[in-house]
Amino acid sequence: MKDLFASLYNKVLSFFHQAENKDKESAKDVACNRLKLVLMQDRTNLSPAIMERMRNELIDLLSKYLELDRELLDLNLAQEDDQMALMLSIPVIRAKDEKEIEEILKAEDEKNEVDDEELENDSEESEEDEDSDDNENSEDEDLDEEESDGENIEDEDDSEDEINDKELEE
Amino acid sequence: MAGRVIVITSGKGGVGKTTTSANIGTALAKAGNKVVLIDTDIGLRNLDLLLGLENRIVYTIVDVVEERCKLRQALVKDKKNPNLSLLAAAQTRDKTSVNADQLKDICEQLKKKYDFILVDCPAGIEQGFQNAVAGASEAIVVTTPEMSAVRDADRIIGLLEAREEIESYKLLLNRVRPNLIESNDMMSVEDVVEILSAELIGVIPEDTGIITSTNKGEPIVNDDNALAGQAYRNVARRIMGEDVPFLDLRQPKGIVDKIKNLFTKLKGKV
Repeated sequence: MKDLFASLYNKVLSFFHQAENKDKESAKDVACNRLKLVLMQDRTNLSPAIMERMRNELIDLLSKYLELDRELLDLNLAQEDDQMALMLSIPVIRAKDEKEIEEILKAEDEKNEVDDEELENDSEESEEDEDSDDNENSEDEDLDEEESDGENIEDEDDSEDEINDKELEE
Repeated sequence: MAGRVIVITSGKGGVGKTTTSANIGTALAKAGNKVVLIDTDIGLRNLDLLLGLENRIVYTIVDVVEERCKLRQALVKDKKNPNLSLLAAAQTRDKTSVNADQLKDICEQLKKKYDFILVDCPAGIEQGFQNAVAGASEAIVVTTPEMSAVRDADRIIGLLEAREEIESYKLLLNRVRPNLIESNDMMSVEDVVEILSAELIGVIPEDTGIITSTNKGEPIVNDDNALAGQAYRNVARRIMGEDVPFLDLRQPKGIVDKIKNLFTKLKGKV
């Protein structure tokens, strides 16, 4: 008898669940939402890999001045009427103080100088870039990052995993 | 006289470009305009079949381009409607047999003698599309309320917007199934218009009559009773500048639905 009631109860429950789900996600709604997302990607020509890279570069840049919560940083493209908008939500833990920023910038300048020297020694091709301004130097940096083999990337992943693990432990 | 050159395109195949071309062309001609239909789907020609002209084609667009005949000789006049002519595609050649400049030149010549030049574009976004669009200043983008067709239409709209010579483009939503829209199983006309943010020029219901009309080689606009024919005639009138309200495509309901409706209405009042 108990079983009978239980199964009946479950059936009624599942019926209402189904009805609820139908209301929430009709085939038309699913189609609309999937389409909107895919069109956003189509219209920008930015692949997920490039978006991820842009996200990381933005974090690196902002981290010089602010202490950020890397995991919660949210970067998305959204359609606002006819205009495409880049939505960036950054949880700031705290602003770094002047001393810290100065140190970071100083370290960076030194690193740039070293990079420049390396480039000069590297090949003849890079000589053409010698006279060019800082902008192009920063481009060279990007290239270097690309050329570097997978090890660095893996290292980054590992460190991120470690952070996750820590969080889990807490 | 300076005729209007309108390209009918879609990106995706099978959404009804050729059917649309044949029907709008026929409707415009019936309304008294001088119309030429150009089939640019070289290698896969079908517009001749839909118009029932397949046995009367002597010269094709490739013959014109390669100067084996004059443009005037290659235009096939419709039996019933002398206002309507077809410039057929070659069936045994490919898309490289004609280039964009040559098509542009043909359109320029036809503009002088005709009110409307409708260019039926092949599927895809490659050479064939680039050729078809070359001579046009207006476009009709045909799509259906399916995800893949809408996505391809969006791509086509992007390409059209990048072309300076295209002054305006309009959306034609084909194969709409009102009962599926009502049950929330298919995207509605409003959904598609919102997603593509394009102006609508027509909504054509799915109609089995299209199959029989294709089989007979007679465009459905010639059938006064068909809803799809009525919808295409309205598109033609909108192209001519008339302000025509969109059809109510919902089919008359059975008695059960009527009773259901009554109850939902009553429920709303209580």
